[in-house]
Amino acid sequence: MTATTARPHAHPGAGGTTPHGPLAGTGRLLRLALRTDRWTTGVWAVAVAATTQVSVVALADLYADPAQRQARAALIASPAATALAGPGFGLDDYTIGAMTANELALWVMVPVAIMGVLAVSRHLRAPEEDGRLEIVRSQPVGRAAPVVAGLLAAATGVLVVGVVLLAALLTTDLDPAGSVLLAASVVVAALVLASGTAVAAQLTTHARTSSALGMALLGVAVVLRAVGDVRGPRSTSAWTWLSPFGWSQATAPYTLDRWWPLAVGVAAVAVNVAVAAALVRRRDVGTGLLPERRGPAHGRVRGLVGLTWRRQRTSVLSWGAGVVATGALVGVLASAVVDFVGDEPDLAAILGEADDVVAAAFALYVVFLAVVAAAYVGTAVGAARAEERAGRAAALLALPVSRVRWLGTQVALAAVAAAVMLLVAGLVMGAGAAVTLDDASQVGRLLGAAAVTVPGVLVVLGVATAVVGLLPRATGLVWLYVAYVGTVGMFGGLLPDGSDALSPFAYLPALPAEPMAWDAVGAVTVLAALLVAAGLAGARRRDVDG
Amino acid sequence: MTDAIAAHGLVKTFGRTRALDGLDLHVRTGEVHGFLGPNGAGKSTTIRVLLGLLRADAGDVSLLGGDPWRDPVALHRRLAYVPGDVALWPQLTGGETIDLLGRLRGGLDPGRRDALVERFELDTRVRARAYSKGNRQKVALVAALAADVDLLLMDEPTSGLDPLMGAVFQDVVREAAADGRTVLLSSHVLAEVEALADRVTIIRRGRAVSTGTLDDLRGLTRTTVVAGLADAAGARDALAAVDGVHHLRVDDARLTLAADGPALDAVLAALAAHGVRSVVAHPPTLEDVFLREYGDELATLGVGTSGPATPGPATPPPATSGGAASGTEER
Repeated sequence: MTATTARPHAHPGAGGTTPHGPLAGTGRLLRLALRTDRWTTGVWAVAVAATTQVSVVALADLYADPAQRQARAALIASPAATALAGPGFGLDDYTIGAMTANELALWVMVPVAIMGVLAVSRHLRAPEEDGRLEIVRSQPVGRAAPVVAGLLAAATGVLVVGVVLLAALLTTDLDPAGSVLLAASVVVAALVLASGTAVAAQLTTHARTSSALGMALLGVAVVLRAVGDVRGPRSTSAWTWLSPFGWSQATAPYTLDRWWPLAVGVAAVAVNVAVAAALVRRRDVGTGLLPERRGPAHGRVRGLVGLTWRRQRTSVLSWGAGVVATGALVGVLASAVVDFVGDEPDLAAILGEADDVVAAAFALYVVFLAVVAAAYVGTAVGAARAEERAGRAAALLALPVSRVRWLGTQVALAAVAAAVMLLVAGLVMGAGAAVTLDDASQVGRLLGAAAVTVPGVLVVLGVATAVVGLLPRATGLVWLYVAYVGTVGMFGGLLPDGSDALSPFAYLPALPAEPMAWDAVGAVTVLAALLVAAGLAGARRRDVDG
Repeated sequence: MTDAIAAHGLVKTFGRTRALDGLDLHVRTGEVHGFLGPNGAGKSTTIRVLLGLLRADAGDVSLLGGDPWRDPVALHRRLAYVPGDVALWPQLTGGETIDLLGRLRGGLDPGRRDALVERFELDTRVRARAYSKGNRQKVALVAALAADVDLLLMDEPTSGLDPLMGAVFQDVVREAAADGRTVLLSSHVLAEVEALADRVTIIRRGRAVSTGTLDDLRGLTRTTVVAGLADAAGARDALAAVDGVHHLRVDDARLTLAADGPALDAVLAALAAHGVRSVVAHPPTLEDVFLREYGDELATLGVGTSGPATPGPATPPPATSGGAASGTEER
């Protein structure tokens, strides 16, 4: 269905142009790109729209009573919640619309922006890297055509998701005008980051580096708006205005309904496209602007572990930095939560003691960190499958290297990296909380809370290993599972009962808010081990691709 | 134990495609064995079954006396593999890759490695993402040839090398064979196989269609004879009725014909009786042998019938068959 939605965009009239000028052939390239993208776009659109629609309906059900909504507004205004939510428009009269814009919007913007970033890298850098671009350029195709077609294809994908999202929002009771603005805000934020990635794509030679740069931009944008919204509610901090998400959240759909902040985003897109186009003109096919350096003539790569680390190093360090930085931020914000509850005696009556509120907030954040670590684990196992498809696994498996050792090394490294990330994040979070709350026991509590999520991440690793070992062609399922675990982990309270039955975090004790449950931790760990073992056994029995 | 590789009745299907359809392959220990067939005939699939990367649906295979599917690790200590399309880790340099692969094998001879790097003129400090296809292939060749192994499995190892490097490759393979190593060499460069191989297997649509020494295979193909004669027309009349003589043609005093092996005696006798001024006999090249096996496909493609001096696909004079062969190789 989304494929057909995409079709009208495929005929912008450029298809029939004569093969002259820098844009010759753009139409045909765009059609090709849209055709290869139709399934990916369709899945993203349906997933984003359906999750949003279900969440909005659930919010409306759960918070039918205005008093409940106001209690939630008070809670969400706390710094810790603000960092993960929004600028807090309409907290005085916290309607379902205000709630949607404040709490859900960011989590719709982030995935759509990720989609845009990945699409740009896929269209702009990957074809050049694997030589497809040379074939295309040798045809009667203009110099700028591949870049323009790639950008238009990514933009079309984002627009399609925006339109489907809007359609889903219009089925709810939300104000249609606000829904249009919300969908537009989602689209603009994604376009800013996608076009920023287009600039990055011209600097590097590789699709992976370019998508990594794009994701780094995205991460910085999330952090900037978090800092900004904590420092100045209702988008009054300068920090907020440094972030594309800040601009898009400043539109305040369903409350102020203002369109002008999107002008900032549109201007940023225009600047990015102009810069990318200028860079394209300066460089040769197959090169980036950052030069390739020569390397050592002899190897220091020690065996499979060394190779896996060399391949995964950048990924581990960047995901790890993100997890640890978030942990640090949460830890430092802990005192703000306590002060906030302390200032509002009414709130304490509803929410309980300040300590409990802090513990509940920490329990949620720890799962959030674990979900990010789980996403890293997904990329690590996905990389193993990519190695196989590229034919590099065959080069190793033709040596005296068993399948179990080949896949097992990569799984083990991912497990260790994820565990270290979470433990360091827990330690940093605990240290921050210990300093701001003046309570040294927080270090041990939060380190423990982070440690308890590790078996949950290992289950995701197990699922990923099992998919690669048993159903290698369905590697996309890993991402579906990561998205599921993330959604129920963050919004479990909003979703129907039992919808989190397949998430390991539903069974692990929510430390520090709940007491430790060794049996649950043990059972989840055993499950993770069984899944990994099944995946490794599957990898031993099946054909190697590539 | 005389066979380094003994495969019998191999079947491998991918969905509806039958990539191997009862393939037999016997490679004797210590020989260089040419493995020929056009794209899609099943050469790479066979090699991947031999490596234990793919499991055959039927048939049995023995490699260095073991089962490659059940016991790959032990067998792989004794063999090295050069893929046709070499994929390397983009962030590692050529030198790092060679050393890594050697280390995973359990160590390689540094002297041999450096000598091979020098002979193949490989710049080992370049990162793999910047290598051309030929240079990636050199990395795989150095890593494989520097290893002390009994068996080399090579899948179109020279497809990206320039002719100079192709010559270096031939030298190196000859040295490996002289050391007593067994080589299975799949290739589209028929001259290379002809220069190196002791025996050859030609496969087609997943089956071996002929196998044997080059002499054996040549015996199955006609020799082209061009003779300048005092009485060319007389010789034509004398040979017209001889079994195994084909495509007789006379231009002025020159007689051209194609003869099966057993008919050569009669041909030479008849020529001698009609005043030989000059004679050229082309023994069939490997190309002729190969093209004979694929004659009907060439006819379908319209190759061979269009050649001016080619009477039929079975007896192509070498010059035109060269053109025809490259036509099929290039997809």
